[in-house]
Amino acid sequence: MLRLEDVTVRFGGLVALKEVSFAMGEGEILGLVGPNGAGKTTLFNTISGLVRPRTGRILFKDREIGKLPLHARARLGLGRTFQIPQPMHHLTVRENLTVAQVFGAGASDPARIDEILEVMELAEHADRDAATELALQELKRLEVAKALATNPALLLLDEVLAGLESHAKRRFIAKLRELHQRYALAIVIVEHDIETISSLCSRAVVLNFGELIADGTPEEVFRNPAVVESYTGTADA
Amino acid sequence: MFELLQQSLFSGLLVGSVYALVALGIALTFGAMKIINLAHGELVLLAAYMAYVIESRTGWNPYAAIPLAFAVTALVSIAIYLLIERIREHRELNSLILTFAIGVILTNAILLVFASDVRSTNSPLLQDAVSLGSVYAMNSELLAFVVSLLVMAGLWWWLRNSWYGRAVRAVSSNRDASMLMGIDPRRVELAAFIVAGILASVAGVALYTMSVVQPALGPALTVKAFVVTVLAGVGSIPGVFCAALLLGVTEAMTVTLASSALQELVGMVLFLLVLFFMPNGLFGARARRG
Repeated sequence: MLRLEDVTVRFGGLVALKEVSFAMGEGEILGLVGPNGAGKTTLFNTISGLVRPRTGRILFKDREIGKLPLHARARLGLGRTFQIPQPMHHLTVRENLTVAQVFGAGASDPARIDEILEVMELAEHADRDAATELALQELKRLEVAKALATNPALLLLDEVLAGLESHAKRRFIAKLRELHQRYALAIVIVEHDIETISSLCSRAVVLNFGELIADGTPEEVFRNPAVVESYTGTADA
Repeated sequence: MFELLQQSLFSGLLVGSVYALVALGIALTFGAMKIINLAHGELVLLAAYMAYVIESRTGWNPYAAIPLAFAVTALVSIAIYLLIERIREHRELNSLILTFAIGVILTNAILLVFASDVRSTNSPLLQDAVSLGSVYAMNSELLAFVVSLLVMAGLWWWLRNSWYGRAVRAVSSNRDASMLMGIDPRRVELAAFIVAGILASVAGVALYTMSVVQPALGPALTVKAFVVTVLAGVGSIPGVFCAALLLGVTEAMTVTLASSALQELVGMVLFLLVLFFMPNGLFGARARRG
């Protein structure tokens, strides 16, 4: 479904991603982990189209997408959320979703919007102003709901659990599992919490200073000395 | 004196409605692209001259010029957009220079074609005055007020209910996030420019019927529209309407109570006061709860 081949991103003299390569299949849940500044969000930005790679190829559904603009990638089925929710001001929750559906999925299907509102527990907020009348948890759910409305095959979730207290986090993880099954989604999730990655993901890749240093099951990568060292500064911590 | 003030208030409201039409064009393109089209006043002026052309050549009512005015302003709007779209760096700043230059070119083109003479409608029907209780207005002013209200209602409907209107609101809210929802911002920006052209065409024709036009008027219209946009704050059509009426009334009152020489100055003072004390404008976006 998604394949990165030797993707390098530079910001001036800074190498933000260095020859990153990995692939993931349909329906897979992949955890993307690494210390702060490792390049996780840059990788998301590169896949979704906010950042252009200097070299390398990005293939989605066997199609090279490295030079496509963001909206074209969204229409191909690539959904993405931001770490800080980005609701559309002056649009209601329902309008946020319908606009995403019409322009992202190319069709207007009110029944599916109602379904997404129900699944994401936003039905009672449907007619509220998205930017001013929702609490953080609701904004996080709206962020995912907007991406779902574009009918994605792959969902990139950037620290979608950040800022949630433990109970809300557990509920959100259960919700992500439900979405994964209900919509047959492939998911890449950026998350710092090792427990979350272990419980949710079948596989994890680890970035450090822009380089991919480990790729395997969560148990394997979190035992990997290079990964331990990247987090603690010492290999035997 | 009271009747004089009443008349000023009424005249200010009528002229303010046309200011609102001009300002909404600037507000729309600013909302969608975060650029200020400094040639917008010249677009309004172009439309006014189309009304002059239709009236002087055919003897028809100047409002019959709206389709021609729209065609001309739409074509020029598309040309301006395509030029802005080619800007690769610092679009907000460079577009100011670009649209200022386009404004100068348009002013001189109008001067070349129509000379520097002052033009206004010759229609007796439009120039006739009617009495509404203790206040008076020209038919053209009342018609312009009604047309402005109808066009603003149409714009409100378009932004609320059409897919492209919603997309304009989405792009103006967050360009990158809207692209991730599948919206092509270039199409949305072009749509916003064309709708701004429609607003300019109606405003220009209305202006021609109720006032006098001459080639140097464009920059003054742009400044007034910019003042109204800042007074209103970003993101509110009713806000732009109210701010435009406020500017119209303030100017009219200044002429009545002080001097016509101070008319422009008072508008700018109002502009500075709002910038100092209410930087989000009188009707700017609400702060997020919590």
